[in-house]
Amino acid sequence: MSRASLLGPIALLLTLASAGAPNAAADPVDDLLKDFAAQGASNFSAQAGERFWDHPVTDPKSGEVRRCSLCHSNDLRRSGKHATTGKVIEPLAPSVNPKRLSNRADIEKWLLRNCKWTLGRECTPQEKGDALVMIRSR
Amino acid sequence: MQGERVVVWDLPTRIFHWLLATSLLVEWLTQDDARYLDFHVFCGYLIGGLIAFRLVWGFVGTRWARFSSFAFGPFAALRYLRDLLHRRQARFVGHNPAGSWAIFIVLTLGTLSVLSGVAALGGEKQQGPLQGLLTFTQGDALREAHSVLAWTMLAVVALHILGVVVSSFSDRENLPAAMVRGRKRARAGEASVSLASNAAIALLVVLGGFAAWYFRGYFKAGSDVPYLPFVGPALAMDAQWQHECGSCHLDFHPSLLPARSWQAMLEEPDHFGEDLALDAKVVASLSSFADAHSAEHAETPTAWKIASRTPAASTPLRITELSYWKRRHAEVTDADWQRVKKVDCAGCHLDAELGTFEPGAIHIGKTSGNARKAGA
Repeated sequence: MSRASLLGPIALLLTLASAGAPNAAADPVDDLLKDFAAQGASNFSAQAGERFWDHPVTDPKSGEVRRCSLCHSNDLRRSGKHATTGKVIEPLAPSVNPKRLSNRADIEKWLLRNCKWTLGRECTPQEKGDALVMIRSR
Repeated sequence: MQGERVVVWDLPTRIFHWLLATSLLVEWLTQDDARYLDFHVFCGYLIGGLIAFRLVWGFVGTRWARFSSFAFGPFAALRYLRDLLHRRQARFVGHNPAGSWAIFIVLTLGTLSVLSGVAALGGEKQQGPLQGLLTFTQGDALREAHSVLAWTMLAVVALHILGVVVSSFSDRENLPAAMVRGRKRARAGEASVSLASNAAIALLVVLGGFAAWYFRGYFKAGSDVPYLPFVGPALAMDAQWQHECGSCHLDFHPSLLPARSWQAMLEEPDHFGEDLALDAKVVASLSSFADAHSAEHAETPTAWKIASRTPAASTPLRITELSYWKRRHAEVTDADWQRVKKVDCAGCHLDAELGTFEPGAIHIGKTSGNARKAGA
């Protein structure tokens, strides 16, 4: 409770600070990593993110094996394909698709939704941080 | 009957006959397939033009083309048919009485079929010259009328063909060949009629020009810009709807389901096996866009059909659960569904992203819409 009540004003101060200096706007991934660290995660690594990315999880309801790479492929510089609808998913790597990792709300939405579908649970701050660091490096 | 062969049918009459026959065949073949509605409509206009020409030619044409040369009463036609059964019918150089009545009936039913067809197109599809002047309900009724008139006409055509076969054998004269070459045996001293070549050329130039104008879109279309023969109304779009729905699949336009279906879907936390975890503000905004443009608003002919053909007691959660959808896709084969998934409307409907689902914009199963988009 007390930490949450402190975080509010700090976030507000940070927002005001970045608004005053638009060229130095905080990177949404850095922002999120700071939050994940505040939640107890540490030492984010692309190698850990890579292992997490290809880790198979069997869905108890359908029996299918799911993993991040199922839809996004292992080469993040290429497009993927939605497992159910077949719709093309634009590449995740910011090096070829600069729109990626540029909007904090979008990142949070997809991390929440896709962890729930793929793992059947929300991801831990450590898992999310590792994955983001890995995606950013591509 | 030892007369010489002389020209009885002038060129315009023969061109009229065979173009009409071909058009009726095309109409029959394309009657129930939305993919070919533009050909069906084109042939309808062509038949209308041919009939208008024939009515004029019936007064100003050459001798045997004039109505006055075959103005037989209905009883004369019945007598001729009775005599034909007993193989004692009189022989006619021009049209016989039964053939004359086939012409009168086909001209009349043909005219009515064209008019009811254009009216059905204007009401049911909101296309063509009567677009916007008739309601969907009127269009539905007019389509029924069009169907009855056209089938009755085709029945008369079938009788005509039967009569021609019987007459040909019993008169020992190949009547279809006479309608091609124009010549029939005549009494001694009977002269050939003029071919009326100038009128024939004028007729072909006008019809050819109309065809080129009608199908001009096919010449302009490239592989990246597909040709849509029928363009529907510009539908309301919503950036949030397109973003939220369109990330994972086609952003199905709200006009494709009743409002109650969208509400049920948005209230349900489980979206076909996936927890979308949308926040309440987003859901409220999606819900109000769905409400404002659901099938009940009948913004397209497809929306009207979906709204009026879905029982009020049912709340389908998938477009593919609609009885209207199922009926319209009954002929799509399993092999086609292997190539293009049911969720991938754009795989066959070139206007899926516009939400209009017009006839004539359907190209079954060559590439999936997803693959096409990725290539673009």
